[in-house]
Amino acid sequence: MKRLKKILLALLIVVVLIQFIQPDRNQRNEILSADMTKAINVPENIQRVLKTACYDCHSNHTNYPWYSRLQPFGWLLAGHIRKGKAELNFSEFGSYSLRRQESKLNGIANSVKDRTMPLTCYIMIHKNARLSKEDKALLIDWATKAKDSLRLNN
Amino acid sequence: MKTFLSILLVSVSICFVACRNDNSSSKESSIASTETASQDPKINNSDVPKNTGTINDVITHYLHLKNALTNDNGSEGAAAAKEINEALTKVGESSLTPEQKRIYDDLKDDIKEHSEHIGANGSDIKHQREHFDLLSKDIIDLVKATGSSQTLYRDFCPMYNDKKGASWLSETKEIKNPYYGKEMPKCGEVKEEIKAKG
Repeated sequence: MKRLKKILLALLIVVVLIQFIQPDRNQRNEILSADMTKAINVPENIQRVLKTACYDCHSNHTNYPWYSRLQPFGWLLAGHIRKGKAELNFSEFGSYSLRRQESKLNGIANSVKDRTMPLTCYIMIHKNARLSKEDKALLIDWATKAKDSLRLNN
Repeated sequence: MKTFLSILLVSVSICFVACRNDNSSSKESSIASTETASQDPKINNSDVPKNTGTINDVITHYLHLKNALTNDNGSEGAAAAKEINEALTKVGESSLTPEQKRIYDDLKDDIKEHSEHIGANGSDIKHQREHFDLLSKDIIDLVKATGSSQTLYRDFCPMYNDKKGASWLSETKEIKNPYYGKEMPKCGEVKEEIKAKG
């Protein structure tokens, strides 16, 4: 019993100590000239869906939940955001080569279609990021058309 | 106190497990680390004198990847895709005409990205083939701009991609389908013969 108490106390200390290691916040407010909305046509309804379901990990501005201040949750989030932005960053979409922009739009349509995005782990917590059937159809349709028009115009 | 701690521990582990699963099934894997590796100043500094590779090296590894996919061999495909990336960093861009360079510049990031995905997904051949479709489009455009040292055939499979179809390049006239592999090796037809230049 005494040992158990000691272990729990040690754990508690660790949990308290790690709270002091806070990862950097991904919260730039200015809109870059490379922002996707400046590079291609993104209708308002699509922007709304992207902002609620994708921007937390795929842009320069994350809307953090309260528990992001609580470690190790904050670290987990920071890891997802880092990987997400490396893969696709809507805030820098315009700086990609045209061919890469086409590929990214293709990837958006595919990952929405086969439900690899948004991550299950993410929509378990962010209920409003769950895409409805209509949202999915809208996104896929938009991404496909945007890709085709990029190809036609270049 | 005890209950609080155990609840905290359980919830932390649930979240970690849930997200681990996501990571392995989703397709991002090691992109971030490879991207930082390519930004290594050591690599950038040494690019001028050592870049004696050609577009033909890229094509050779692309054909290797294509052949691995026709044999349903994902891990060999992954190895070949990594070779594509390697060859891409060594291409001597000074040997390209300005027009070729413009096309190459537009394509190379995309080629890099698709080959990274294929390289990181040796155990997920379905995902490799999705990227192979897009990679093939890039390589075909590249070959059209620069030419090839060997005769190539542009093949087309009308079934892949929900019947939208997909192309690939082959060094042989005989059809061996990389999108369906052994399941449907003969699906497709030769659309164009790209003659070796020079």
